[in-house]
Amino acid sequence: MIKPIISTLALGLLCVMGSCTKDFEKINTDPISYGKETWDPNYTLSSSQLFYTGSFDFAYDTWRGNLIYSATMMQGLSTVISYWAGDKYLLNEGYTAAYWGNGTVGAYIEQVRNIQDVIVNTKGKPELNNLYQVARIWRAVIFARLTDLYGDVPYSEAGVGFYEKIYKPKFDKQQDIYTDLLKEVDEAVAALKTDGDRVFGDVIYKGNIDKWKRFGNSFLLRLAMRLVKVDETKAKQYATKAVANTLTNNSENAYILHDESGSRVTQNRNSQVLLGDGGQECYYVKWSNTFIDFLKKNNDPRLGLVAVTKLYLKDDVKAQNPDYVSNPAVQKGMPNGKDLSSDPKYKISSDPSFTTFPDYSSPNPKMIKRNGVTFILTYAETELLRAEAAQRWGIGGSAAEHYKNGLKASITYLNQYDAELVVSDVLAESFAVANPYDASKGLEQINTQYWAHTITMLDFYETWANWRRTGFPKLTPVNYPGNATSGTIPRRFPYPSTEEAINGENFKAAAAAVPGGDNLAGRVWWDK
Amino acid sequence: MRNGYIVHFRFIIRMKLALIMTTCAVMNVSASVYSQQKVSLDVQKTKLSKVLKLIEEQSDYYFVYNSTNENLNKEVSVNVNNTKVLDVLAKLFNKSGLVYSVSKEGLVVVSQQQQVSVSGSVTDDKGNPLAGASVRVKGTAVGRATDINGRFSIEASTGNTLIVSFAGYASQEVAVTKDGDIKIILIEDNRMLNEVVVTALGMKKEKRSLGYSVTQVAGESLTTARENNVMNSLVGKVAGLDISSTSGGAGAASNVTIRGVSSISQSNQPLYVINGIPMESKPVGVGNANSRGNSGSQWDNAPDLGDAISNINPDDIESISVLKGAAASALYGSRAKAGVILITTKSGKGNSIDFNSNYVAEKIIDQTNWQTVYGQGANGEKPADGKAAAQVGGSSWGAKLDGSPVVQFDGVSRPYSYQSGNLGRFYRTGSTWTNTLALNKTFEGGSIRFSGTDVKNKSVVPNSGLDRQSFNLVGLFEPLKRLTIDARYNMILEQVKNRPMVSDMSGNANFNAMFLPTSVNVDDLKPWKKENGFELPFTTGNTYATNPWFAAYEFQNNTKRDRSIASLTAKYTLENGLFIQGRAGRDAYNDQYRNVLPTGTAYYEYGKINEQQTKFADINADILVGKAFSFGDYTVTPNIGASYRNTKMSQLTNSGTDFIIPFVYNILNAKNKSVNYLESESETQSVYGTAEFAYKDVFYLTGSLRSDWYSTLATPGYDNKLNSVYPSVSGSFIFSEYFKPSWLSYGKLRAGFAQVGQATDPYQTLLNYNFRGENLNGAPLGSINNRNIPNTSLKASIANELEIGAELRLLNDRVNLDLTWYNKKSKNEIIFNTTTPATGYAAAVLNSGEMQNKGFEALLSATIVKTENFKWISSLNGSYNDNKIISLADGLKDQLVATSRSNVGFIMNKVGMSAFQVMAYDNKYDKDGNIVNLADGSPDRGELKAYGSAMNKWFAGWNNEFNYKNFNLSFLIDGKWGGKLFSATDYYGYIWGLHQNTVERREEIGRAAAKYYENTANNVSKNFVNSADFIKFRQLIIGYTFPTAMFNNKIKSLNVSVVGRNLFTLMRKTDNIDPESSYNATFPGLELGGVPAIRTFGANLSVKF
Repeated sequence: MIKPIISTLALGLLCVMGSCTKDFEKINTDPISYGKETWDPNYTLSSSQLFYTGSFDFAYDTWRGNLIYSATMMQGLSTVISYWAGDKYLLNEGYTAAYWGNGTVGAYIEQVRNIQDVIVNTKGKPELNNLYQVARIWRAVIFARLTDLYGDVPYSEAGVGFYEKIYKPKFDKQQDIYTDLLKEVDEAVAALKTDGDRVFGDVIYKGNIDKWKRFGNSFLLRLAMRLVKVDETKAKQYATKAVANTLTNNSENAYILHDESGSRVTQNRNSQVLLGDGGQECYYVKWSNTFIDFLKKNNDPRLGLVAVTKLYLKDDVKAQNPDYVSNPAVQKGMPNGKDLSSDPKYKISSDPSFTTFPDYSSPNPKMIKRNGVTFILTYAETELLRAEAAQRWGIGGSAAEHYKNGLKASITYLNQYDAELVVSDVLAESFAVANPYDASKGLEQINTQYWAHTITMLDFYETWANWRRTGFPKLTPVNYPGNATSGTIPRRFPYPSTEEAINGENFKAAAAAVPGGDNLAGRVWWDK
Repeated sequence: MRNGYIVHFRFIIRMKLALIMTTCAVMNVSASVYSQQKVSLDVQKTKLSKVLKLIEEQSDYYFVYNSTNENLNKEVSVNVNNTKVLDVLAKLFNKSGLVYSVSKEGLVVVSQQQQVSVSGSVTDDKGNPLAGASVRVKGTAVGRATDINGRFSIEASTGNTLIVSFAGYASQEVAVTKDGDIKIILIEDNRMLNEVVVTALGMKKEKRSLGYSVTQVAGESLTTARENNVMNSLVGKVAGLDISSTSGGAGAASNVTIRGVSSISQSNQPLYVINGIPMESKPVGVGNANSRGNSGSQWDNAPDLGDAISNINPDDIESISVLKGAAASALYGSRAKAGVILITTKSGKGNSIDFNSNYVAEKIIDQTNWQTVYGQGANGEKPADGKAAAQVGGSSWGAKLDGSPVVQFDGVSRPYSYQSGNLGRFYRTGSTWTNTLALNKTFEGGSIRFSGTDVKNKSVVPNSGLDRQSFNLVGLFEPLKRLTIDARYNMILEQVKNRPMVSDMSGNANFNAMFLPTSVNVDDLKPWKKENGFELPFTTGNTYATNPWFAAYEFQNNTKRDRSIASLTAKYTLENGLFIQGRAGRDAYNDQYRNVLPTGTAYYEYGKINEQQTKFADINADILVGKAFSFGDYTVTPNIGASYRNTKMSQLTNSGTDFIIPFVYNILNAKNKSVNYLESESETQSVYGTAEFAYKDVFYLTGSLRSDWYSTLATPGYDNKLNSVYPSVSGSFIFSEYFKPSWLSYGKLRAGFAQVGQATDPYQTLLNYNFRGENLNGAPLGSINNRNIPNTSLKASIANELEIGAELRLLNDRVNLDLTWYNKKSKNEIIFNTTTPATGYAAAVLNSGEMQNKGFEALLSATIVKTENFKWISSLNGSYNDNKIISLADGLKDQLVATSRSNVGFIMNKVGMSAFQVMAYDNKYDKDGNIVNLADGSPDRGELKAYGSAMNKWFAGWNNEFNYKNFNLSFLIDGKWGGKLFSATDYYGYIWGLHQNTVERREEIGRAAAKYYENTANNVSKNFVNSADFIKFRQLIIGYTFPTAMFNNKIKSLNVSVVGRNLFTLMRKTDNIDPESSYNATFPGLELGGVPAIRTFGANLSVKF
């Protein structure tokens, strides 16, 4: 105890001479984190890729944005769970704001923050060229989904709070965002070098630059096709560029393989929800009858792979029934817009289709494994978009050929979920032959298949965006009391109301500029 | 001042009364008729003896003196008109070298003043020596402190008066005579008017010398009617001190602010200094390392993990000094911005065994006023069957309650009728039993005190409670003459079982008991487990609404704290009065926090576990050197010192999910595990000096200067200025020494100005990166570590405060008035400005805000009745604080502070308004001012508006103490006004159809009523902004002190009291909640899912052997 007194005396003297504070810099350096000097941005890229599949915190955005809203609005899934607001076009602001997120979860804080940092730290560094280019492509992937969901969003000033000291980023016009995304992806693809640095942080293609080039072009095609309603010239211009080198087969599909051991952080987002981790989704969330009926009508070989009945037998038991039934003949979708009330107009038990819940089809458990995959971009989507580009503008080959490729790939790719979900090439081929392309209703055919395929990908964000772009398939909306869209299928997520409190002026300007208003029925720019 | 009449003299010999050469008490003249006699004199350069003669001629006074004394020949000039003789004498003999005494009969004996060395002892009325009491010669600022055995010696002159004072005791004045040894007995005085108070750096000072406001509270007032968190006992007792407890149950933190919000974004909690060793007590929320506690965020759903001050055992507290203003706390520099609370713990006093036992029972106060018309259900319908009942779960949007049988969530049919009193059924009667045993021993050259306290608390929340054992050992020694050693060791073991979750619903028993549907009886949710041990959810439609019993009995939120606070102070005083003091202290604790989400929880049935270990150590050391120098009437006391502080914290968290073997709760049994670790360190080094100038004991001026160097501002690669200098000056003037009308017995004016500051938490300056605890198939997941945008050029914030005050004692000390006005302005505020996530960060660390607090404080206390057997003392304290955010960072007009779980209520700071504005949505209006409605008739959402600050503006406490013979009764009523509270409880009352307001239009709207009221709640959230005004009957104590003669004096004292706290709310404006509700000690103005307010009553036994 005497020692501190003496050392204080000594310190006091030293302080007067101003020398004892020289270790302050060391003291004020976090001992268990990494500074810029020791950090490798590859690790940051990994996070931004993983979090694109959903939030680290219990699939926060996936649950709300992808499943509760997009999946049900698109009649891929259907549910009677009262808080699944999307099934009934009800507004739940917390849910529609989830993808945007807050200071802890969501696209900006998990995806944009990380990817923007990778870009800042790799830009102008030739030794990290490939990482930089991959990051540019990835940033475009991230922002495309954000702007597709909300419209005008902070883009040019987003994620640079530290570097640019921008605390109230402006909302860029979606038109400007798309212009820049197209330019970015185009440039990045061109600048990737097969003999350049190895992007070891890439958890999708493990640094395979050839695949990234084809991914980049395929994504460029998707971006371009989004603009067909509002700027066909630009759409065609970029589509023409992109089709030169797109994904060539399912082995080039972009997906992230999840990991059970990291719990919520690394497990498959959709799976966590659909396995009922947060409620009774396992029992009450079913394939929509719109989707199942579509597969049934065409005798689609996917039906027996993606849908099973009797998977969960009781609402409070989360253990799966090992004797679930995958026989396509008994598969049955559940209608959307139903509930558990006692009003015969809405209650599911009054629906002619109703027998018991286990009789409705659930997603095959092999698709919703905790360590399963999340698809990001597939060969099948690309081929379908190429079919559309060929149909519209006659570029990049024959529409029928691409359509057939797309259809086949959308059947055979399912084994990437699980080796058991396999359809032979022969069967896929015969199905494709039996369902040939018909140019007279080509766009509907293509985009209906795109709808079905992205539903099997469980990428309902993409399903919704493409449906808004094309209007296919023609879906019959539900009309539930209290819905926020006068019985029409929502076309946009409103901005998070919290933005009013933290970025008020920019928020107000952006909200006022939304055609149709800042609500579920308003529209984004490309959705004229 | 005309006191310089140095004159010559002739002797007058009056032998006839030579026998009266005895001592007389100087002041003992008030009863005499002579005292009222007045004279008029106008003499120039006249011998003193001649003047005395003139007085004799005009009055009945007569003088006796030795005519050979040269001093009587000194010439004086005096001009008085009709002035009391006694006042004239005081003037005449000032600095004459003579002393005089006046007898009742008017005889004035004049004699030569003599220098004597006075020694003596100071004890309390039980004969226990009082160590550290101040002994001062009246009229000077020169004083000495008593040693460990209460002894002192001081140079004085005959005729001088000694003033003896000690914190917590009434001062006493003693005349100096030739006699050597004086025995002084001081009587305890708990009226908070103490003459001596503990000030910065632990220096005990007489209040008259202070140029700022200090309020001292005696330890006793904390122990009879006690609270588990000692700070809560101060509610309503100190002007300018705002204390709000949180609704976090046993062991929860308290929000303590002094003179308003002192900082825009950083901790507003005062610095606590225990026996000279600083201790920071930040509740979870601001800069607290513990990431797992309730941090006040919108999504928070965590228990309140308490604060550091709540561990301190009130039985060990001798006194608490509240240094409110910057001038008082300037010596603590950068740590004083939020004010300082000095706690002095007890040391050995006499030889005794003290035993105190306190038992209180606790009951919640149900303040809900939910609707009783409609039952559980949806769409205006009763649930059709058990499944439907479980699906609609928490919703009271059902049919009209009609008593008909309805199958509930568990498949059992029960009458569809209103179940009142669910909260009363869910919360049990809690209790707290506190036993303290203290042993005191005083011996030659030292004293020792050992105390042990055991607190056993059974919370009102089922299956929750707190146990605390504290041991305190204090030794005071004087191994060498004038060397004192003060060594203290305090060990605290605290175990809190199941700290209840607050705010959001998952795992939160409070939340789910509060919002249970009208027709569901909480007892029917028992047993809360199914046969397989899994939760029996009452609402399968929302599995996050945990069965409250399951939340209480199956979830675990246990904390264990093992804390030791040690300090050693050595002070050596040289013969010439120079002292050197060194002090070192270490406050260290190890915390274990275990959080189990049990197997079978409806929202995550595989279960989770977190095991967290936190190690904290704060080392403080300082040194101080000083000496008083006297130059005639002037005294100068310089002190210089230096201090060092180092704080280290580390935290290891092991998280696991999915129990391999269900129901076995240990981390190794978790299938998926991840680890997290963090460490932080900060250091502050300081040098300081003070100088106190005193003119007699009338005018005091104190200046101080402190420089702090902070590690938290250091930025590698940047050459930031690491230090700040904090000056202060304050003065006091006892004007009653010169102007003293008959009604005034004491009057003082004071003024102080000081600068204090605040640095920040470590690691706010650079961007850094880290890996997550988990990885993806072997791929590490890296990310930016900073939540906030770091700031590479941070500087400490600075607050300037001016305070002016007056202290008056009137009508023979029967009435006391203490008034203070202050104005505090801070700049360079370090702001954690919430940003849109689009920036990539949750907030930005900015460094340029300005804020102002202006206000006043008043304390009026009066002895209304004082007879031999009956005494009534009433004291009223009040304060007003007006806060204003002058600016935030450049270009920023507002700052989001916190968001209500409802997502439609916010706390924001806005430029030009007071801090913590409660924000909510107004209606939307068309251009004609009409309310705009949505298609379903529900109101549309308008602007987000500020509805007033969450901080109260006015505070008052009225304390009354009655003593009749051996009985005493006291009660305290306190109130706060002017604050706002956003009630998320009311919000959810709308959402789930429990709120009274949701009844009116249900029939008319029909099936869509729930959506209609949901829209109303979401769009016009101003409905949930409540006035937080209240008046509460806070405390009642009735006590009896047994006469010691009853026990043949074998027992020194025995007191029994009946106590009650939070007995009634006399006024409130909230519909369904307590106006003091909050779920976090850092962010006022928001509430949800907390433990309801608690009423306690019990008994206290205090005995001394």
